[in-house]
Amino acid sequence: MIWREEYKIGVELVDEQHQELFKRLGDFIQTVRSDQENSEKKKEVERTLNFMGEYVVTHFDAEEALQKRFNYPDFEEHHQIHEDFKAEVAEFQEKYSADEYDDDFLLEFSGRLLTWLINHVASTDQDIGEHINSVKEKEEELK
Amino acid sequence: MDVKYLNPIIAATDSVFQTMLSVKPEKGEVSIQEDLVTDKEANVIIGMTGDIKGSIVYSFSKEMALKVVEAMSGMEMEELDKFVTSAMGELGNIISGKATTGLAEQDLSCDIAPPQIVTGKNINISSEADKVLMVKFNTDLGEFDVGFSIN
Repeated sequence: MIWREEYKIGVELVDEQHQELFKRLGDFIQTVRSDQENSEKKKEVERTLNFMGEYVVTHFDAEEALQKRFNYPDFEEHHQIHEDFKAEVAEFQEKYSADEYDDDFLLEFSGRLLTWLINHVASTDQDIGEHINSVKEKEEELK
Repeated sequence: MDVKYLNPIIAATDSVFQTMLSVKPEKGEVSIQEDLVTDKEANVIIGMTGDIKGSIVYSFSKEMALKVVEAMSGMEMEELDKFVTSAMGELGNIISGKATTGLAEQDLSCDIAPPQIVTGKNINISSEADKVLMVKFNTDLGEFDVGFSIN
């Protein structure tokens, strides 16, 4: 996946985690689009999807902890977006493992994820950076 | 039909392309058409309900759809497969979501439906609308049209 400097929100931990998340989603997509033999591919798809899914949880937890620490006003709404996304990934993991989804659905799911994650990082998360940095500035002034 | 309804869609298109792709779309000609006929191959249709009932249709040339997905994924795309059309569908969904926020500022409360994808050449997308507002855009990644039909 392509990372752009403009995607940074100006909070180091979050920016590093976003880049790692891009990397893991990129690996998943690469696997989804590869020409491997079916059973081999399924194993790799599951592995890269789990690897990404684990990091989604790690990152969302860390980001939400920061939001709380800095009293981010849109915490509840953002938390719900994260919960919905986690639920969607978990449902996909479960049904894909149970052979309930075909290749077309796998392509559709990963394509949507690509655009969704870029928008979430490049647009939705920017407000968190702005908020945290303005709080930090105020704290500096009071020192 | 009032052209002012189009402005939130134009603003949302502009903003999403710049934020996600660092691409500035140049707005071209605006026209009113009887039907939504497009010569572009990758079409994303977003149904709208609420104070405005109708649909927004994003029509991308095949080349542009492939380039957009390449610019996001960093991977080479060769055809309009389900991965490409689904990524473009989500893009239409995001732009339309942002457009409804803009419409809300005009006191119009609207909801959008999940994207529907239509691919192929010379498509006629039927709708209940009498008129379709069409805007052409040009970008570094290619050309696309946005059509707005209100029932």
